[in-house]
Amino acid sequence: MSLSTLTKDWEPMSYGFLDPSAKREIRRKMLKAVAVPGCQMPYASREVPMARGWGTGGLQVSLTLINPETTVKVIDQGADDSVNAASIRRFLARVSGAPTTLDTLDADLIQSRHRIPEEKLREDQVLVLQVPNPEPLRPVQPNMSIARQMHADADYGRMWLQLYEQIVRSGRVMQGASYPSMVNGRHVMTPSPIPRWDVPKLHMAKHLTILSAGREKRIHAVPPFTRVEPLVFDDVPYKVEEHGDLTCVRSGAKGFFMNEIPQGDGSSTYEISDSEFGVKSIKQTEGTDTIFGETWYKNGEMS
Amino acid sequence: MAYVATRGGERAIEQSERLYRAAMGDITEQRVDEVKAAMPYLIDRVMGEASLYDEDLAALALAQTGGELFEAVLALRAWRTTQPRLQVAAPIAQDQLFTHRRISAAFKDIPGGQVLGPTLDYSHRILATDVLNGATYAPEKVEAADKPSSAYQPSVAAWQAENDLLDLPVPDDTKPEDIPDVTREPLLFPSKRAHTLQSLARSETGGALALGYAAMRGYGQAHPTVNELRLAEAEIAVTHPNGTTFSAGRVKVSQAEVVSKKGEKLELGFAATLGWNEVKCISAATLDLNSKGAEKGSATEEEFYLYHTEGVESSGFCIHFKLPHYVTFQSSLDAMRDAKAKKSPKPEPAQ
Repeated sequence: MSLSTLTKDWEPMSYGFLDPSAKREIRRKMLKAVAVPGCQMPYASREVPMARGWGTGGLQVSLTLINPETTVKVIDQGADDSVNAASIRRFLARVSGAPTTLDTLDADLIQSRHRIPEEKLREDQVLVLQVPNPEPLRPVQPNMSIARQMHADADYGRMWLQLYEQIVRSGRVMQGASYPSMVNGRHVMTPSPIPRWDVPKLHMAKHLTILSAGREKRIHAVPPFTRVEPLVFDDVPYKVEEHGDLTCVRSGAKGFFMNEIPQGDGSSTYEISDSEFGVKSIKQTEGTDTIFGETWYKNGEMS
Repeated sequence: MAYVATRGGERAIEQSERLYRAAMGDITEQRVDEVKAAMPYLIDRVMGEASLYDEDLAALALAQTGGELFEAVLALRAWRTTQPRLQVAAPIAQDQLFTHRRISAAFKDIPGGQVLGPTLDYSHRILATDVLNGATYAPEKVEAADKPSSAYQPSVAAWQAENDLLDLPVPDDTKPEDIPDVTREPLLFPSKRAHTLQSLARSETGGALALGYAAMRGYGQAHPTVNELRLAEAEIAVTHPNGTTFSAGRVKVSQAEVVSKKGEKLELGFAATLGWNEVKCISAATLDLNSKGAEKGSATEEEFYLYHTEGVESSGFCIHFKLPHYVTFQSSLDAMRDAKAKKSPKPEPAQ
């Protein structure tokens, strides 16, 4: 027996960067997360060649799911060409050889920071959301071990109280993005800082959503056809951002989530947040044959 | 069909990286060697925080990142995490360490003697500015002691335990390959002892100091006395597949024991790390000393200090705020404007 018979030839890195033991752990934790929807599963969370807080949780999930046939789309704040989306897409392609796309319809795997595309996702697609803070109870309980116990007891009283206090003080729920939502009637999760506009897209969706926080070392999931209900009082309905009537100045698309662009004269214009949907809309206006998928929102209303 | 997307963003990030690297020029083997030779304590600090003992890789990481410490540690950690674990070295006790420096503040003299070893503690911190005018600063030659002290020294805590002043931790006979590894499992609380010590060993020096100092200054319950501070080299004893145990070399390690009076006994706080890093060991040992019974949410509570001294996580999260956040911001603006509109005075209802 010699060292050369015990070891493989040296390679600078494993396929898809992570070594098999790391991938195996993540697969197991993803299965657990799917089995108990919305429940946070702790995982080791290896370091990857990107800084913590820059999508390392999403990246580890993508690296575990990817193979040379997986078509990958990466978005950041809705845009494919945002610098960090470009960086993650380039890294995924570099270590896996997987093809990349900008078109939601062509993607098998979509890694996203804080947006869900406007076109409906299908059963065969997986959405990986990057999560900065996996703990919806953090604002009422910063200590993670106590918060964990509260989830175990389904002790969400302080969560409700916080929402109630906001209504009393400000006349409405002041939560912007990351709206706390009850999953499958049992676990309150953060949907990650997606806008309120996107939360209803998770409810009874056909696709699997994996939410992964690399720095905080937690994975949770929304399996297909699972209830995702924002925490609301019976008499104060859930309100998405008032973007239903806005029109994109560049593409003319109307009734989708927008980025507000401040103008020199004190006014604002708007452009569509889902950048590739905007590109498609422009192409269509220019007369190019363009295939649109069905959208979650129609005429600015969730359908 | 699928294609590799190239847009403005890709060119921008490529050029910005080039701009950063242009300032450092070519990185050669010679530069890496110079970094290694000139800055052993920086190398040690980086190796400790990366929990990877390899001076060449640490020097390379420093050269490649231009000395951006957080970046250097991240590069080493990312390299480390993909490496297979071939062997777990045999546990090593304090009296088996090849000791260069061992001091105690608790007693004037200790069995084996106070061994000062290499330190700047008593140096006058004056810059050798002549070097900038072409002079060479040549350190004076070390003169060996008439009677060399032994390289192997017992721990001070062992003497205190013999005298019933302190209870030593119960020896942990977990098999080496079964020791919980914080780099392969999530850190959960209350944390396993191994996870606590491993996390402190790879904590960020400045972070451990900040929280440790807070405890020393008065926000902790216990005032630390440095029972023992030790800089040493540890033998890495591993077993060949044919059964032979052999040394794979030595690594520099540092460790601190701090004690505090608790009733009739002394309470012990401990920390150790790869490389020689005294500030980190004393700070981390102080946190360990203070953590028992610390209030939830206080700076000396385990969950608080282990999370917040993790350098790769804290620095990464800090710099992530540079990323665009306009979607989240838009969502908040919407809620703010709506709340404001609701508050604006409504016309008086008609009588």
